Amino acid sequence: MGFVDIERARFGYGTEPAIVDGVDWTIGEGAFHCLVGRSGCGKTTLLKLAAGLLAPTAGAVRIGGAAVRAPRPDVGFVFQAPTLLEWRSVLDNVLLPMALRGRPGPQDRARALELLDLVGLSAYADRGPRALSGGQQSRVAIARALVTRPALLLLDEPFAALDAITREELQDDLLRLCARHGTTVLFVTHDIAEAIYLGDRVAVMAAGRLSHTLTVDLPRPRPPDLRYDPRFNDLCRALRHAMDGEGA
Amino acid sequence: MTRGRLASWLLLPALLAAWEGYCRLSGIPALVVPPPSAVAAALWNGLAGGRLLPHIAMTATEMALGLALGCVVGFLAGVVLAEAPGLRRLLYPYIIASQVVPKLALAPLFIIWFGFGMTSTVAITALICFFPLLENTLTGLEQTDPNKRELFRMLRATRLQTLLRLKIPSGLPVILAGLRVAVVLALVGAVVGEFIGGRQGLGASIIAAQGMMDSALMFALFALITALGMIVYQATLRLERWLLNRQSKG
Ligand SMILES: Nc1ncnc2c1ncn2[C@@H]1O[C@H](COP(=O)(O)OP(=O)(O)OP(=O)(O)O)[C@@H](O)[C@H]1O
Ligand SMILES: [Mg+2]
Repeated sequence: MGFVDIERARFGYGTEPAIVDGVDWTIGEGAFHCLVGRSGCGKTTLLKLAAGLLAPTAGAVRIGGAAVRAPRPDVGFVFQAPTLLEWRSVLDNVLLPMALRGRPGPQDRARALELLDLVGLSAYADRGPRALSGGQQSRVAIARALVTRPALLLLDEPFAALDAITREELQDDLLRLCARHGTTVLFVTHDIAEAIYLGDRVAVMAAGRLSHTLTVDLPRPRPPDLRYDPRFNDLCRALRHAMDGEGA
Repeated sequence: MTRGRLASWLLLPALLAAWEGYCRLSGIPALVVPPPSAVAAALWNGLAGGRLLPHIAMTATEMALGLALGCVVGFLAGVVLAEAPGLRRLLYPYIIASQVVPKLALAPLFIIWFGFGMTSTVAITALICFFPLLENTLTGLEQTDPNKRELFRMLRATRLQTLLRLKIPSGLPVILAGLRVAVVLALVGAVVGEFIGGRQGLGASIIAAQGMMDSALMFALFALITALGMIVYQATLRLERWLLNRQSKG
């Protein structure tokens, strides 16, 4: 039994065919799992089931042994769209999870500023989100999900709007932070290299089912030039074939 | 000042001059169309002599009270209906129906209930202001971005927190647009309410001036009502801009 257990989870809207169709998956404590798949295959839906935002029509999702029925305080979620409150400053947006649990204290503010610094936005702390580019907004959303030090972090294509260099920097930052706090991560992405670079394990989703899984046997922490390593490229190719296999 | 603004400022004196010229040259009786000079004299007499001041104060007070009452109740009712879908489904057909009812037509009834004077005028003004606030609050709160609602659900916000920190702030522009409509209607409500049931105020004075066939005074009162409306409308715009600005700064 892992930290996150998804057991034969199904979900569908009304009478249409199920969008998530009997997914079985276990994520061990502190593990970093990635989920790839074509657009519309049900990745976001599966992530929302894990978060307790949607309830499975059959099967179950368990976190730490307890069935998930509603969002939990120890789970962070980075949505596919940044979803910032335009009428609040960037810093207040990062502090929102604290503000909803009571008044944020000085340590909370310090932590929020530290995270903003980490995502390279400390100069924007007092600005409104409207003054930020799309990629900058996604980085604020990531800081907001990390500020509560969640035990489980669910990320829905958080780096999709970023340039390659910023993305690589943030991938390393995310790995470092999650390793430091022992955070368990489920990371949805379209990007094959990103999945291999980040994950211990990568699952391929197709039409609501997990069609393949791939164990990534690469050293941790990831060495800086891993992306040019032949073993890395072999894994990317293998994952690509797995995705092609289901698509054809 | 831009050329466009200068032209628009010059238009008023030009029109007044044309009006004055027309009255003098055509020999039209001053009772039918008083020349602007006579209107200005009537206005000056009323203001300098202090005779019109209590009426201005009366209408302004009625407007302010009616506006405040109608807007507060309309806003609260909008919040309740937005938060209670069952109640909204129950009441919505009636709310739509009541939108079409000409509220001013109820003024005679209000006089039976509240008597002649300030109370019935305030009540009619409040009734008129109630609907735009209700409607816009309901719309504003319902338009909240579903992604943001989901975020608040993920953060385990309570219902009250979601209302105060998400729905009202995100609906504020729409709610304030309703307030702007209510301000215009409040002036109509106060003046017409006085036509029917007032003893004092600018509307009641128009009726009194009509009784004395003093059309210059009627025009003067009309100018005062316009000025009052413009002041309050501009103040509302300022308030709106200030609130939205403050909000976007966080
Ligand atoms: N609220 C909804 N009502 C009905 N169908 C929905 C709803 N939300 C999603 N779907 C359907 O569920 C399917 C899976 O959606 P989902 O958002 O999980 O895809 P995804 O894998 O995250 O895609 P992408 O990579 O484009 O984000 C889609 O075919 C979509 O049409
Ligand atoms: Mg998605």
